[in-house]
Amino acid sequence: MRTLGKTALIFTAIGLVLYLALYIMAEWLLYRTGDTNPFFKMATATETSYDWVILGASHAMPLDFAEFNDVMERETNQKIINLATPGTGPLYNRFVLEQFLQNRRAAKVLYVLDSFAFYSRAWNEARFSDAKLLRRTLFQPALAWRLLDYCLTEGVDPRAELDYVTGFSKINNPERFKHDIWEGEVQFERVHRPSAAATAKRIAYLYPEAALDPDAFTRYLREFEALIDFSQLNGVAVVVIKMPVPARFHSLLPNEAAFDEAMSRLLAEKRVPFHDFSLAMDEPRFYFDTDHLNRVGLTEFFARQLKSILTSPMGE
Amino acid sequence: MLFNSLGFFLFLPAVLAVFAVLPERRRWLWLLLASCAFYAATGLFNLVYLGAVTLVVYGCGLGIARSSRKSSRMVFLVLGLLVVLGGLTAFKFYDFAVGELERLAAWAFEREPTAFLPRLGVATPVGFSFYAFMAASYLIDVFVGRLAAERHAGRLALYVAYFPKILAGPIERAPAFLPQVAAGLRTDPERFVNGLQLIGWGLFKKVVIADNLSTMVDRAFGIPAFATPMDLLLAVYFFAFQIYCDFSGYADIAIGISLLFGIRLMENFRRPYLARSTAEFWAERWHISLGHWFRDYLYFPLGGSRVGAVRRYGNVMAVFVVSGLWHAGLGYGVGWTFLIWGALNGLYQWVGLATRGLWRGLGERLPRLAAGTPLHVVRVLLTFHLILVAWVFFRAKSVEDAFVILRRIWVALPDIPGLVSRYPFTTDQLLGVGLIALLLLIEILDERRAIWQRLASAPVVLRWGAYYAGIFALLILGRWQAQEFIYMQF
Repeated sequence: MRTLGKTALIFTAIGLVLYLALYIMAEWLLYRTGDTNPFFKMATATETSYDWVILGASHAMPLDFAEFNDVMERETNQKIINLATPGTGPLYNRFVLEQFLQNRRAAKVLYVLDSFAFYSRAWNEARFSDAKLLRRTLFQPALAWRLLDYCLTEGVDPRAELDYVTGFSKINNPERFKHDIWEGEVQFERVHRPSAAATAKRIAYLYPEAALDPDAFTRYLREFEALIDFSQLNGVAVVVIKMPVPARFHSLLPNEAAFDEAMSRLLAEKRVPFHDFSLAMDEPRFYFDTDHLNRVGLTEFFARQLKSILTSPMGE
Repeated sequence: MLFNSLGFFLFLPAVLAVFAVLPERRRWLWLLLASCAFYAATGLFNLVYLGAVTLVVYGCGLGIARSSRKSSRMVFLVLGLLVVLGGLTAFKFYDFAVGELERLAAWAFEREPTAFLPRLGVATPVGFSFYAFMAASYLIDVFVGRLAAERHAGRLALYVAYFPKILAGPIERAPAFLPQVAAGLRTDPERFVNGLQLIGWGLFKKVVIADNLSTMVDRAFGIPAFATPMDLLLAVYFFAFQIYCDFSGYADIAIGISLLFGIRLMENFRRPYLARSTAEFWAERWHISLGHWFRDYLYFPLGGSRVGAVRRYGNVMAVFVVSGLWHAGLGYGVGWTFLIWGALNGLYQWVGLATRGLWRGLGERLPRLAAGTPLHVVRVLLTFHLILVAWVFFRAKSVEDAFVILRRIWVALPDIPGLVSRYPFTTDQLLGVGLIALLLLIEILDERRAIWQRLASAPVVLRWGAYYAGIFALLILGRWQAQEFIYMQF
């Protein structure tokens, strides 16, 4: 029995060494294929201080498609880093911002608001366990501690921490050799042909729960408030915008008026500028899918609205 | 709680740890509690139903044993079977049958179909198809005197509820299971290692092979009219290996886990795609525990092969049609496809029976040809492709879909060489082909001499190398997003 135990011990030890080697290789591969993940951007960022940090979900992502972030930096003479992540709500974005401000500085945060992200765990706590995000997140001890803290205090599934620390999703990544580009970026030049069915499908995807949960909304509004408080405490001003979406898409968003009202009240209370451009650009030629701006749309939006916000001292 | 989930990887060591410190004669109780917890995780209603079935089977078993008159013994048997198999039939088919009846009525009276008959609206309890057959076999065995009725309610409950096999078999027989429990459960290092090897191999088949193939299969079978003939052809081949690796993977894990507790479960798969005839495939290689169940409790009671030719052919078809019905609801809904799948396999048996003399004659006249490798390979390939055609009905969402798939492949067959050379194979498809080739290589080696024996006699570097390769394949290539086992979805 003792021999069997000794054999098992040696087998396990060799296995752990091999696992470690695999872990290192997976991490190394991330540096070669990484791109969109916010923690990858932080780890590879050359600047220590930025004028603007962009946060939000997928509607904020086109601002960093292709060379658009460079264009914005050039036109505004500002240093901008886009840390938006598709399908993420205020909880995940606060997590990103806290990690960013640990080693870097920012003057302002541009938060691109999406109402859907305030109604479901799927876009908040559950996003931390998403293998698609974890598999692209570089290992950093400080991030592991922060994630543990979120598991203990914010109801994030502890399996997310286990996965992150063991690097399982990185080792197990079926797309390990593919470049980390969000699917929307490859369609950036496209023009979308409007489709009622596609819009309805997209809305159903964004609102996975059968009915809107008022408690969830209250909770995530509180999380958003915490994000603002955290920013202001760290001397970072916050500016909130809603990106343009087609009118048809906007009309199908459930409870949008009530959301806007509650959000306006909170932002006024916190003295945070809020710009709602939801209905500013309706033409289909501005979108590459049901609700994301394409290059033409973004260029137009930047020239018409965003540039002045980014160059104004208070983001007004 | 799936065998390929983190929850189970925590559950199993915890159960094992407590099992190891308990006295041998008390271990059954711990396994029963663990089984109840495992099954309750699928839903509390399921556990209540399992308890009710166990109580009925226990009571009817004792009733049969204590009755001296045949008529009262028969009453207990019928009562027990009515609860177990009647319940299974009602759960699986009642809603489907009334739906079909309403459609028929609408067609007959030329009206729009309306739902006017009451529905059960309850899903079949998970694994019921499996434990219902185990419970029924117990009752029949007691009735015919093959087995003494189990007086220990706890042991009988463990037989029905034992967690490694409750969700997808093997459909274990009481005469093999109960004595092991009664004798006290103990394991030894050799069994333990063998158990771990089987668990690893089963996981590899499920998580690495079956789940990597499943996305490609689902895509092509989803809307067959939109898939190219090559997509469909690949999907049909991939499905054959997906379902094999999924189901036999589950069986290997179940058998492996049982070895950790010192319990031997029956073998359920024996390299089925190396069968030389469809008869061999069904009788000796695929889902052996179900095949033996149908043989012992349906085919033999119907007269088996000891009757005239017409009845014999009828018996064979009856077994396969019932088998088709048993498979209905298998994650792909309840529909006529399963009936066709069963009947098609029955038809294969008919052709096999009718041509048996021909093969025997060939063996006598040309013994070298009959025993040679080329003919062997041809027979294996032919059998595999017959089974492949039948799987299309098993997997397709409807009979129409199945015919669309078969027709589109058939029409494209003459152009296959050109289609293959022009087809833009994806990395996932090439990985799938590579994994299937690896599986077949291992199975061919295993057919000649058991792979475990080969490993045991191999130098330690080779043996450990194989173990590490398996473990790291699970880590690197496994699809761990906890996909359900197909056969669990009954």
